[in-house]
Amino acid sequence: MTIEDVVNELQEQLGSFAAIFQRNQKRVYVDVPPEQTLQANRYVFETMKGRLATATGRDTPERIEVLYHYCFDSLGIVVTVRTWALKPDCELESVATIFPGANFIEREIYDLLGVKFLNHPDPRRLILSDDWPEGVHPLRNDSPIRRARNETQEFMRAITDEVTTP
Amino acid sequence: MKRTVIPVGPFHPIQEEPEFFQLTVEGERVVDVDVRISYNHRGIERLCQDLTYDQIPFILARICGICSASHPIAFCKACEDLSGAEVPLRGKYLRTIICELERIHSHLLWAGLAGHFIGYNTVFMWAWKYREPVLDLLETLVGNRNNYENFVTGGCRRDIPQEMMPDIIKVMDEIQGPCEMLTNAVLDDPVLKVRLGGVGILTYEDAVKWCTTGPTTRASGVPIDVRADEPYACYDILDWQVITQPQGDVFAKVVVRMLEVLEAIKILRQCVEQIEPGPWRNEVREMPEGEGIGHAEAPRGETFHYVCSDGTNYPIRYKVRAPTYVNLPSFRASVIGQELADAMLTVAAMDPCYSCTERMQVIRPRLGNKKEVLDQKALLEMSWAKTERIRKSV
Repeated sequence: MTIEDVVNELQEQLGSFAAIFQRNQKRVYVDVPPEQTLQANRYVFETMKGRLATATGRDTPERIEVLYHYCFDSLGIVVTVRTWALKPDCELESVATIFPGANFIEREIYDLLGVKFLNHPDPRRLILSDDWPEGVHPLRNDSPIRRARNETQEFMRAITDEVTTP
Repeated sequence: MKRTVIPVGPFHPIQEEPEFFQLTVEGERVVDVDVRISYNHRGIERLCQDLTYDQIPFILARICGICSASHPIAFCKACEDLSGAEVPLRGKYLRTIICELERIHSHLLWAGLAGHFIGYNTVFMWAWKYREPVLDLLETLVGNRNNYENFVTGGCRRDIPQEMMPDIIKVMDEIQGPCEMLTNAVLDDPVLKVRLGGVGILTYEDAVKWCTTGPTTRASGVPIDVRADEPYACYDILDWQVITQPQGDVFAKVVVRMLEVLEAIKILRQCVEQIEPGPWRNEVREMPEGEGIGHAEAPRGETFHYVCSDGTNYPIRYKVRAPTYVNLPSFRASVIGQELADAMLTVAAMDPCYSCTERMQVIRPRLGNKKEVLDQKALLEMSWAKTERIRKSV
């Protein structure tokens, strides 16, 4: 089996709703709309025997993208299933219902980016401490922490300018 | 039967690292477990978004003091995937040398600790004695015992002079004999076999379901190793083998790690033999827009890095996944049904690695009842007592 076979199989099985890109000889990206997340992940994990390496959350202006990275170890390629949760609800079906390996990473993405994973078997906090305020997600672009940090940096820059200007 | 909840942590009583286990036991048997991590989240992913691509490998070397070659190399691979940069042949050999020296010292460190946990302090002394020349060698080669900082996108930061290569062979000659002896001693020891065999079994199905990596997985018979599956550095041109063991217990994990040390020595000898003078770095001038993924085999398993670039000097999203993050949840699968004396050994067998500082936690035993708190000494004594019992009966 080669990367072409993997791309063809993905095209055949998921092509009706997903967009498949082959970036180079080792990397494949599959864009899946949120409604079919479970179906696509189940197919890649259970039928194609991918190993979930991890998932990445990424904040963009209108949505939060969640990328599930699957390694196909015998072929040496990585298939990334990209899905997204639209703001402001940010809800997505949980993949941890299919296999427990996705449990920790989905809890982390909820903590850092605020994607609510529906039907998650264990929706507790993982990264943030128990006394962290509800609804504040540090990796969001509009998070107050980020704003405070930017303001501090601007302030520092202003001071340094004043000092260094003769 | 009456159930008792035993909290272990938030500071690992044996490995001195922040984590929290809530074990539910019936008598001596563990029936349920809850794992809590991330007591010391350092926000490195976010920090990296404020650093340029040239600066990032240096902070990544600080993610972990032991795997300080594996994280930067995974990042460099991700950037090379993104930009399409090639590494010159000498650069690849240099990368292999540093990565394999790191593997040897990490596995020996673990073997020593594991020996200490079960009361084999001779193993502890030996393993750490022979780890020392490897660290000294690393200091000779790159200037530091840890935090090597030798990898940049497109190759290596500094060359290792050709005159230093015989030093590697000298150290390999020095440690090969003792490592072989240690491996044979582990394989032949009847007490070790009984003490560690059948303890903390992670089955093949569980390893696949929990998506574990590294020696933890290979000891369960799943033949995955990034070095062989998606060869980086020069692993594809060298002659070596992926070590697997079918049993999945702690003993299998010991065997996998000890044999991997011998494989690493074999790899290093080939590297020194084949390496030739030449360029060791291709300068990468700019990062194009797009996404890159890089993964590498650290001593503990696969490190996975994802970089998203918008064409500027700074990544807009950067993701790091350390091997323990996927191995630790599988503790749930391997510990249920074990004795309490083996629980900490089971988690130690996957060689967990967390970051190093901790928030404060106060434990107050009820007045006059000091037995409620099990400290490091008590847990170690529990484990040593079991070894002693087995030693007498064998």
